[in-house]
Amino acid sequence: MQTNFTPEQLKSSAIQRSNEVLRACVHCGFCTATCPTYQVLGDELDSPRGRIYMIKDMLETGRPADEQTVKHVDRCLSCLACMSTCPSGVHYMHLVDHAREYIEQTYKRPFTDRALRWVLARVLPYPMRFRVALLGAKIAYPFRGLMPDARLRAMLEMAPKTIPPVSRNDDPQTFETPAPKKMRVALMTGCAQKALNTDINDATIRLLNRSGAEVVVAKGQGCCGALTHHMGKTAESHAAARANIRAWIAEMDGDGLDAIVINTSGCGTTIKDYGHMFRDDPMAKDAARVAAIAKDVSEVLMDLDLPIGADQDLKVAYHSACSLQHGQQIKTHPKTLLKNAGFTVVEPADPHLCCGSAGTYNLMQPEISGQLKTRKVKTLEAKNPDVIAAGNIGCMMQIGSASDVPIVHTVELLDWATGGPKPPALNNAS
Amino acid sequence: MEMPIPNADILAKKSRLVERLLQVLPNEAVIHSENETKVYECDGLTAYRCPPLCAVLPACTEEVAAVLKICHEMNVPVVPRGSGTSLAGGALPTADSVILGVARMSEVLETDYENRFVRVQTGRTNLSVTGAVEEDGFFYAPDPSSQLACAIAGNIAMNSGGAHCLKYGVTTNNLMGVRMVMMDGSVVDIGGAHLDASGLDLLGIICGSEGQLGVVTEATLRILHKPEGARPVLMGFDSNEVAGACVSDIIKAGVLPVAIEFMDRPVIEATEAFAGAGYPDCEALLIVEVEGSDQEIDDQLDLICSIAERHNPVELRQSKSADESARIWLGRKSAFGAMGQINDYMCLDGTIPVSELPHVLRRIGELSDQYGLKVGNVFHAGDGNMHPLILFDANKEGDLELCEAMGADILRLCVEVGGCLTGEHGVGVEKRDLMFDQFTATDLEAQMVVKDVFDPNWLLNPAKVFPLSASEERMAS
Amino acid sequence: MLIPTDEKELADAISSAKGPLSIRGGNTRGFAADGTPLATTGLSGISLYEPGALTLVAAAGTPIDDIQDALAAEGQRLPFEPIDHRPILNSQGTPTIGGVVAANVSGPRRIQAGACRDSLIGVRFVDGQGTTIKNGGRVMKNVTGYDLVKLMAGSYGTLGVISEVAFKVLPAASSAACVLIEGLTDANAIKAMSRALGSPFDVSGAAHVPVGLDGTPVTMIRLEGFEKSVRYRANELKNILDEFGDINIELDPANVAKGWAWVRDATPFVGTNGDIWRVSVKPSDAPDLVAKIAPKSHLYDWGGGLIWVEVASGTDVRAAMRNIQGHATRIRGDGHAPKFHPEAPLLAKINRELRQKFDPRGILNPSLMG
Repeated sequence: MQTNFTPEQLKSSAIQRSNEVLRACVHCGFCTATCPTYQVLGDELDSPRGRIYMIKDMLETGRPADEQTVKHVDRCLSCLACMSTCPSGVHYMHLVDHAREYIEQTYKRPFTDRALRWVLARVLPYPMRFRVALLGAKIAYPFRGLMPDARLRAMLEMAPKTIPPVSRNDDPQTFETPAPKKMRVALMTGCAQKALNTDINDATIRLLNRSGAEVVVAKGQGCCGALTHHMGKTAESHAAARANIRAWIAEMDGDGLDAIVINTSGCGTTIKDYGHMFRDDPMAKDAARVAAIAKDVSEVLMDLDLPIGADQDLKVAYHSACSLQHGQQIKTHPKTLLKNAGFTVVEPADPHLCCGSAGTYNLMQPEISGQLKTRKVKTLEAKNPDVIAAGNIGCMMQIGSASDVPIVHTVELLDWATGGPKPPALNNAS
Repeated sequence: MEMPIPNADILAKKSRLVERLLQVLPNEAVIHSENETKVYECDGLTAYRCPPLCAVLPACTEEVAAVLKICHEMNVPVVPRGSGTSLAGGALPTADSVILGVARMSEVLETDYENRFVRVQTGRTNLSVTGAVEEDGFFYAPDPSSQLACAIAGNIAMNSGGAHCLKYGVTTNNLMGVRMVMMDGSVVDIGGAHLDASGLDLLGIICGSEGQLGVVTEATLRILHKPEGARPVLMGFDSNEVAGACVSDIIKAGVLPVAIEFMDRPVIEATEAFAGAGYPDCEALLIVEVEGSDQEIDDQLDLICSIAERHNPVELRQSKSADESARIWLGRKSAFGAMGQINDYMCLDGTIPVSELPHVLRRIGELSDQYGLKVGNVFHAGDGNMHPLILFDANKEGDLELCEAMGADILRLCVEVGGCLTGEHGVGVEKRDLMFDQFTATDLEAQMVVKDVFDPNWLLNPAKVFPLSASEERMAS
Repeated sequence: MLIPTDEKELADAISSAKGPLSIRGGNTRGFAADGTPLATTGLSGISLYEPGALTLVAAAGTPIDDIQDALAAEGQRLPFEPIDHRPILNSQGTPTIGGVVAANVSGPRRIQAGACRDSLIGVRFVDGQGTTIKNGGRVMKNVTGYDLVKLMAGSYGTLGVISEVAFKVLPAASSAACVLIEGLTDANAIKAMSRALGSPFDVSGAAHVPVGLDGTPVTMIRLEGFEKSVRYRANELKNILDEFGDINIELDPANVAKGWAWVRDATPFVGTNGDIWRVSVKPSDAPDLVAKIAPKSHLYDWGGGLIWVEVASGTDVRAAMRNIQGHATRIRGDGHAPKFHPEAPLLAKINRELRQKFDPRGILNPSLMG
């Protein structure tokens, strides 16, 4: 499209990038076809094309973000299905991330919004605080009907029934491999995931070790910054990212790293974008180095030649997380790995559509999230699976809250098939 | 693009209009703030933009009827909108009009394999109509390249085609019935699961009427069983003439391919750079696809290849597998995206008699030199529909106007050689002012009297199709 | 009778007409209206035929046989298989291509290749005021302006007199076969035809004859194309239709052609004396409707989507159609019921107003359609 930025405006690196993105868009509308909010609402304003248009207008005029633009940008899941669909290679993610930052800087949200977002930013990325909050949520759960705000209600309803004890596997340490060593990798232990589910990291470490990878939990690593980044709180997201970059560079320059393994695809997308995020920062080179070796666990496993497994007699419905299939364009590895391990793999109809979790979206936009959740669960259950496998904790929580089918992380099944313990979720089911 | 002056009276009663619309629609279905109506200011043709008075998103036929009734009473023009993917500006609003978007109405209402039809709400996308029946082995044939996103409503309005229309026809050949809301709010059902019209062929006149006769909310569509298989053959030639002659010979041999796609050198090169599909280095490329069982496909492809051999192709590549088929099609399907990476482009849509292709391509080359704008050509060789892609720079002053002037010359050329201004995209606003190059005043009058019958006040989709000078008398009264 | 020899004479004849005109080509279809006869037979001749582009343009009065001969010489044909009405109507005359268009005459292959209106890509006509109008052209893909081409097809001369037509033609089939199932009830025949038409084997004709040449029911399913392909598909169809009964395959293209010409021209009704109606319905509704009508004789075509019925003189077949979708047109007989199916009020109004626009004086085949 034609853009109208002044030379003054184009001095800003952020505007420059957004200008590039906007110019690539030809307004063809293909993105509307795969946008979950457009499916639900049927409104151009809640489609990628419409959001691109509003963001363009907002940035070009340089005016403070307005209520309507904020409303529709807030409704964006950042599922990035549009990026998979776009025939012109529009980097929607960079544009909407910029818009969120711009909104955070120029728009004064209503008090409850600000308060809620502040709390989420201060709690979710910090496992200890998050555990306390989850405990509180468990206690408040019976009173959720009294909550005046739908989002608070959603938060209470999303809180898990059981909170696992802290796993010491998440502390900085090295897990040596008993097998011939093929590689040395860092495990991104995450933030919210640690508080909600320790089985995933445990299974990941076991599986990697068994397959010949030495796993190190780097000292000083923590939240990847995605949560705050998607709120537009870029100072905070960059601070978190910086800590990670330092932690991993230390390992890379120390004993060396072949990959940074990430088992929450939402984090993976953000870490792989560190190069772009830090392009104007003194840490640019280090950020790019880190981004270059950031890998989803399924990518690393494909390189580790897992043994072909005997028929497991288990039907697995594979849920393709948006951040994995669209954000990282990883669409087949998890399925290949599961099939090779001996599982029967099926996929739901409309696999490209988001389940509605999308980071904190299910807390901030409960209505739309709820509709997407219903659709996703329906298509998954229609396949009559024994278990649902996903590569992202957010999806697991979301789908798990509305389905009785056990849901596990892909690595838990792969760990089990190669000698690890049966995933607890499956034990509970049988 | 000249548009009629917005009616000041209507602009003045905007709040009253919004008030009345909010009485028949939920709040979020009426969009009237300045920031929000902006996204409805254009469709796929971004060169022309004008925010509407407001936009409404009805969820059912009754809501559509209620909206039209109000607009009729208040004399407010209405611009129907499907997915807003039109390349002709078919959904371009005027400042005093209401955009009526049907995207909320996207359900499948009835599927009947015994009688081979599917009935859908017209906001549903073209591809998802096939999506609803493909597990049972069926498909809906008309397949415009935008089928992922375009709506059936738009397909009906523009009588959309697609690569497969050589064998299966265009929308009008696959449309069995509609439920349409007239501008005064009355609802009419035409056709259905039975064939042929009972009186005059109203389905035939409604299809292709560009949203100017009524708002179609439901459609009964013919569905077919998927063929057993399909595979293409790729052919490279060292001249456009030879490629054209080859197409003619294939058709005369009695083969009916399901698609015949032509690309010229500029498009081939751009596509190679973008998608790396492995296309040969040649002047003209043909992709011919046939359907049937594996054996039937082989037999047809062998016949086609033997015909092609007589024309000394630079390369001849028969697909033997699904993978090979995908690779052959990869380039063609990325062609537009590839051209878009080079620069902005304007995609034209004229049709010519297939025998005129070499002459037309030569003339386009001359126009390209004359205007200083590069052109690549994609062509549906089986039915004569051309898609010249004129490259220009939207951010360079004057380039758009140059491009439009060149486009107009190319379309006039199409008419000159016995073709027409538009084969698929429709007239919209884009070709409105060229209509007198194809039709006389009496020809256009004969079309306009049809609109007089359906929409006597000329409120539906104003300023499209007919040159403003032709319709000004009616608009004045 | 007025027989203009070119478009200008035609226009003059219409603009100077003092009263109703009865427009006809060869007048073989049984739709003559009251008025001064005006025939188009003086406008004859193929003006363009490009086999490599599948395009043919001809004056409206060109005999249909001339057109079909010219096409056959190049191995091509009109895809929609027009009917010859003369045998069942016992009419004389030479059918013209203009009449075929004006009455949207389409035979068995309509089910696969579309009706006459689906092959028609261009038209020139003179309206009721003597104004000459053109729409469409000689290219298949044409969405420039409103599609008056489709509106003129099947307008029975009430909107204007067609002077020239342009068609997209198709290759003729080099071979053909017909799958035959004996002894099916009407209901099972529809089911069998539906299964065949819902298969990927590209069926080009599906008819059921309750009383065949030997007195027993026969269901006919036609396949056309290259010989090897036709044999393959016939065999595949035989497999999927296996449960319906004994299946034979007629492989001689000449016999297949004969059999389908028999169906096409509704031969069972030749020389009989009842009224003949053509009923258009959803195929699965057809058997029940036939049971309600209880005709003297009937024939299903278009997989059951078309029913030819012969009833006692003066019977109104529409009485049985109250609750089903579709329409019935009387082809032979002078009953009191209108020839054309009365339409819902709003549709009737639209039809009426369209006719008024094109023929304000109401002189073109007035009262023929409503």
